Amino acid sequence: MYNLLQRLSGVLSFAVSVLMALTVLIAVTTPLIPSSPTHAVALHGVKTTTGRPMDPFDKTSRAAEHARLTFDVDADLTSMFNWNTKLLFAYIAVEFEAPGFETNKVVIWDRIIRNPRQAKLRLRRHHNKYSLRNFGLTFEGVEAANLTLYINPVPYLGLMYDRPMHSIPLTLPRATPAA
Amino acid sequence: MELVAQFRKCGPRALLLQGLTFISVLTSAFMIWKGLSLFTNSESPVVVVLSGSMEPAYHRGDILFLHNGYSPIEVGEVVVYKIDDKPIPIVHRVMKVHTETATGRQYLLTKGDNNNADDRGLYNPGQLWIQRDEIIGRVKGFVPYAGMGTIWMNEYPQLKTGLLGALCVLSLFSND
Repeated sequence: MYNLLQRLSGVLSFAVSVLMALTVLIAVTTPLIPSSPTHAVALHGVKTTTGRPMDPFDKTSRAAEHARLTFDVDADLTSMFNWNTKLLFAYIAVEFEAPGFETNKVVIWDRIIRNPRQAKLRLRRHHNKYSLRNFGLTFEGVEAANLTLYINPVPYLGLMYDRPMHSIPLTLPRATPAA
Repeated sequence: MELVAQFRKCGPRALLLQGLTFISVLTSAFMIWKGLSLFTNSESPVVVVLSGSMEPAYHRGDILFLHNGYSPIEVGEVVVYKIDDKPIPIVHRVMKVHTETATGRQYLLTKGDNNNADDRGLYNPGQLWIQRDEIIGRVKGFVPYAGMGTIWMNEYPQLKTGLLGALCVLSLFSND
């Protein structure tokens, strides 16, 4: 009636269907696991200078204004780790409006948090990791600037989604000409 | 000899039927793929990660499910993009977004989590930003290691031909 090959294919196809159903179930339920992270960002100051840091590919960076931020981060993200969390990707983005450009968003700092032991962030007087500049050369006419901490949980298996955490306003000043 | 005898017994009608089922399986798979592609507005809604530049988030052989849609790209999203002259699509995170008010055109800069520098060295010479239409899709979900088969098949082409041949022969001689 049934030979070995047919039995094998039956078992295999059942196993694959069960795995697929489990995958969907895990993907859908993981974002529902509750967590209670604490988070705070404080800004100490913004200093704008011209010409640094240099970008090896962008020839305009020598003439552009770059803002250097000094900030504190206090966050306890331990509770965001559950059985389906591979890592948390934490990043700080600055968004602003500039003449001719309605939205500008620039990531200035990020960190990969791989386990709960690294999930307590306590940064004191940190500076941005990546350069913050306008699409044009200067910060002239730039307004409504905001700095936001985001957490992007990456699961072992499942869906990707972002969680905005803490947002504070800031002003991006023009560079003061060197004396 | 035994095979030929079996052919004789089946007759041309049964043989044609087998061929027809085989073709219908192929075409329905193709239809599902194209339908998904239309729904997600992405030329390839499922991709396999080929490099380790997004480790430890994505490893080689992970399967990514993409949704492109029509909305503007946000910073922090992981996207798959393909530069015109380069054959291989790249999976990286968006680090900078500038949206022009007049045209809605987006200037995007990407970077791999595991790379030290941003992607300007991977773009075409002189290209500083990528555009919305160079993006194939944003990563919405993923399954680890499920795409290892694809990588093996790309590395050992004999495996691919052998597997395809075996499937064809099996489908022609199955009796249900």
